[in-house]
Amino acid sequence: MEVEAAKAIGAGIACLGMGGAGIGLGTIFGNYLSGALRNPSAADGQFGRLIFGFAVTEALGIFSLLVALLLLFT
Amino acid sequence: MSNDPIHQFHISKLIPIEIGGYDFSFTNSSAFMVATVVATSAFLFLTTSSRGLVPSRLQSISEMCYEFVASMLRDAAGSQGMKFFPFVFSLFMFVLVANILGLFPYFFTVTSHIIVTFALAILVIGTVLVYGFMKHGFGFLKLFVPQGVPGILVPLVVLIEVISFISRPVSLSVRLFANMLAGHITLKVFAGFVASLSALGAVGIAGSVLPLAMTVAITALEFLVAFLQAYVFAVLTCMYLNDALHPGH
Amino acid sequence: MANESGPDETGKTGPGKSGERAFRDDDLERRRRQLAETLAARRQGEGEGERGAKSGETTGYGQAVKLSSEFIAGVAVGAGLGWAIDRLAGTSPWGLIVFLLLGFGAGVLNVMRSAGVVAQVDPKASDKNAGDRDN
Repeated sequence: MEVEAAKAIGAGIACLGMGGAGIGLGTIFGNYLSGALRNPSAADGQFGRLIFGFAVTEALGIFSLLVALLLLFT
Repeated sequence: MSNDPIHQFHISKLIPIEIGGYDFSFTNSSAFMVATVVATSAFLFLTTSSRGLVPSRLQSISEMCYEFVASMLRDAAGSQGMKFFPFVFSLFMFVLVANILGLFPYFFTVTSHIIVTFALAILVIGTVLVYGFMKHGFGFLKLFVPQGVPGILVPLVVLIEVISFISRPVSLSVRLFANMLAGHITLKVFAGFVASLSALGAVGIAGSVLPLAMTVAITALEFLVAFLQAYVFAVLTCMYLNDALHPGH
Repeated sequence: MANESGPDETGKTGPGKSGERAFRDDDLERRRRQLAETLAARRQGEGEGERGAKSGETTGYGQAVKLSSEFIAGVAVGAGLGWAIDRLAGTSPWGLIVFLLLGFGAGVLNVMRSAGVVAQVDPKASDKNAGDRDN
């Protein structure tokens, strides 16, 4: 197989990891929202932790994006 | 072709001009930019020419525009920032009028092309950089070094702040462009539903009431978005100018 | 405020002398002015708060586009810078790796700034958060 083609396929497979990050973000924001609807007064205080969870989860997604970019551009 | 939602963003050359191998053609985009500038200046000029002490309706609209931008700038950048008022006001009016003009049927939306919004954003960031370095010299670089960071982390934080600064024109331009593009495509798609449904006969015509109502609602929303995006653009401009005026936070 | 002034007032009206009434009127006038001032100050504060909330909190759709464009812009600029550095300095692939991660940090910083979690006027808090994120 051509190396270029294998790289493109690999990059595509690597991007599947972004989907996992997407699922994780959905869980985080969904749970935050349901918690916030149960107790709206406590919601603002937890916004910082929401962003923290978002950052940590998205970091893993960024890793797979990184692998895809490395495959495509190096 | 009339149902193609992308067709409205097509750029056509009205007067082909070529100078030294580069394309300087007068396109429909340029025509609508000229129209935007002419409409804005004509409106402001004509409505304020009578200068009544008791303003007429139109005069109070232009006074409201002035007051709106002036208070926005004063809130964000202090009274020192008022020397940038002509800049921010022209930017705000240009984006606002371009957005609203684009909502008329068969009109071209200037701000739905990323190169236009990116040029505007680069203008803003360029002004911030030039003025910041002119006023503070290399003290302007303090913007990138927040106080109270432990020594080891300083290079890392500085790098992050620099990237954050560079990403400003990108996010500024992408936001305006994406909003206008998405809004117009949605509008066109729903309007296309009306046409294709009503081609199906009596049942289709009855059913096409729903997408028609949706189109009307989206048009109203788009007017809101047109104003909101011009406002957001101007507010962020004010905040970035504030950084140029007072870089040490 | 009404609760506080309640017993005070009744205590004063008890004797019902003319001199005392004049004093009371004076006192009432003073208190009323104070109340007006307090009300004006509070209303102004409320108005400002409302305006701030309105300008910060746009429609949900607008908010989503705003935050995601901030984040994506940070990551994209980081990746672009890293790629350009690799291209110029020939350090491939380290520039891309390092700058993409830094761009991710910048993107989160952008999001937090525009969501108002990190106040721009308070450099201490922003630095602490930036430091936390880097680890």
